[in-house]
Amino acid sequence: MAGGMLAACIGGNGVTATGSKPVTPTPNTMKLTVDTGPSAATGQINHAYVTIKVCAAGSQTQCATIDHVLLDTGSSGLRLVRSVLTAAAVTLAPELDARGQTVEECVTFGGGQTWGPVALADLSMAGESAQKLPVQVMDDTAAGAPPPASCGANGTLINSVAGFGANGVLGVGVFAQDCGAACVSASTPLPLYYGCTSAGVCTAENLALADQVTNPVAMFAADNNGIIVNLPNLQNANGDISVQGELVFGLATQTDNALPASGLTLLGTDANGDFTATYNGGTTALPALIDSGSDSYDFNDSTIATCSTGAYVGYYCPAVAPKSAFAVNSGVGVNNATNTVDFAIADPNSFVANAAAFAGLGGGGGATNFVWGMPFFYGRPVYVGIEQRAAGPYTGPYFAY
Amino acid sequence: MLSGSIKSLLLAACLGAGLLAAVPAYANLGGDADSVRADAMEFVGTVASVDGSGYLIAQISTDSGVRVREYLNRDGIVFAVSWSGPVVPELQRLLGVHFPAYLAALAALDRPGLHRTLRVATPDLVVEAGGHLRAYQGRAYLPNLIPAGVAAADLR
Repeated sequence: MAGGMLAACIGGNGVTATGSKPVTPTPNTMKLTVDTGPSAATGQINHAYVTIKVCAAGSQTQCATIDHVLLDTGSSGLRLVRSVLTAAAVTLAPELDARGQTVEECVTFGGGQTWGPVALADLSMAGESAQKLPVQVMDDTAAGAPPPASCGANGTLINSVAGFGANGVLGVGVFAQDCGAACVSASTPLPLYYGCTSAGVCTAENLALADQVTNPVAMFAADNNGIIVNLPNLQNANGDISVQGELVFGLATQTDNALPASGLTLLGTDANGDFTATYNGGTTALPALIDSGSDSYDFNDSTIATCSTGAYVGYYCPAVAPKSAFAVNSGVGVNNATNTVDFAIADPNSFVANAAAFAGLGGGGGATNFVWGMPFFYGRPVYVGIEQRAAGPYTGPYFAY
Repeated sequence: MLSGSIKSLLLAACLGAGLLAAVPAYANLGGDADSVRADAMEFVGTVASVDGSGYLIAQISTDSGVRVREYLNRDGIVFAVSWSGPVVPELQRLLGVHFPAYLAALAALDRPGLHRTLRVATPDLVVEAGGHLRAYQGRAYLPNLIPAGVAAADLR
């Protein structure tokens, strides 16, 4: 049995030897856990985490196994907190631009921004690997160039484990790079990538696609056209202590990642990564995405009360819970399916304090888009197709369920 | 409807933003039309103005796809700003004197995470921001200065 397992792992294709039982996890499948977060930042809700292995590019020994990396289908690229790497004695070599300056990045996430260098890592997840992967090192220890005035100007810097509720973010969204063409040849470079002198003076600059922070899945040798997120239904309406699921690499590349022949809603996205949604019979087509990096269904409904006290200020606190709602999703482009999703918003003050997973958490009053956050994932597989990659009859970018 | 001076200021902004020398450090939300010109320079964008219903919209567009709209009431005061594009424009600049209140309200939110949708509201300031890499959008407004009959949802 041990021999069969080893052969399956080395083979890397998920096919088990004749006569042996199926191997779990298969080399394209890894454990996905919803729990209360890393030891340095417990109390998280609706955060799905993976454990990854990173090494300094080209090194077999300077490696770290990092737990509690947040799975994010709403962004592309791996971002790791510097102090976590430092604690494991891993130093990732910074990427240099054509002038020999370090490349640094400033990315807005909600109420804050990340800042830190782009560096090269060798990444392993399940049986898959990506070499010389450009990642962002979130500079919580201020070891590198200080952020320019424009970074942090949108709120606060959220480089730390506490800021993210995670040791890093694994962006496995619909794009191969985080910025893409808009950062390659703009006449006025976007304030996203910067070249920084040794004196720490940083200037926004363009960056070739191959040098941008990259979705690791897109760099795998195989199983590189997308992912599946599998999380079960929750057991308790007022919250589960933890949830076990799996992250599957590749779409229609192996026996374990087929796209269903029927019953699949496949929603193409626009160049921004959004399909559209109309909420509760409204006429406005809102930009929409399926986003494991958001802890709630986020949309605007001024008729639902917002929590004003307790642990969930700003989220929805419906007067009569659960509050039923629906939205109609429509794909953009050739993958133009339409599908109605019924969902319900719970009263978060009914949630158990020490639980990590809640269905029915809603928020986003005032939003002009629609975010199918983590509650959407409980009980249905979600498929994410990477841009320009084919899987069966479909070509990304798309979300499907 | 609107005072001629506001329109002429905005027209001047369209034609000659690059000629202005004195730029206030921060202005904008709560500021006047001069602050719109300053923003156009800071964001390296062009300004166009359109009439809303009882207010004026000055729109700054950059070649990289960032769009900022500043809403001026009849007194020529910016009572709201909205934005969309591949990056978030500098809110410190757009919110001006209200930025510290925004930071304080942000700090009071205690849920860490990515938070692709964000709302902070005080009696004097509302900020609603959302989106993700490649497509951000949001708005900020001063509830006490919104003209009668204008809904927050109109400020897009």
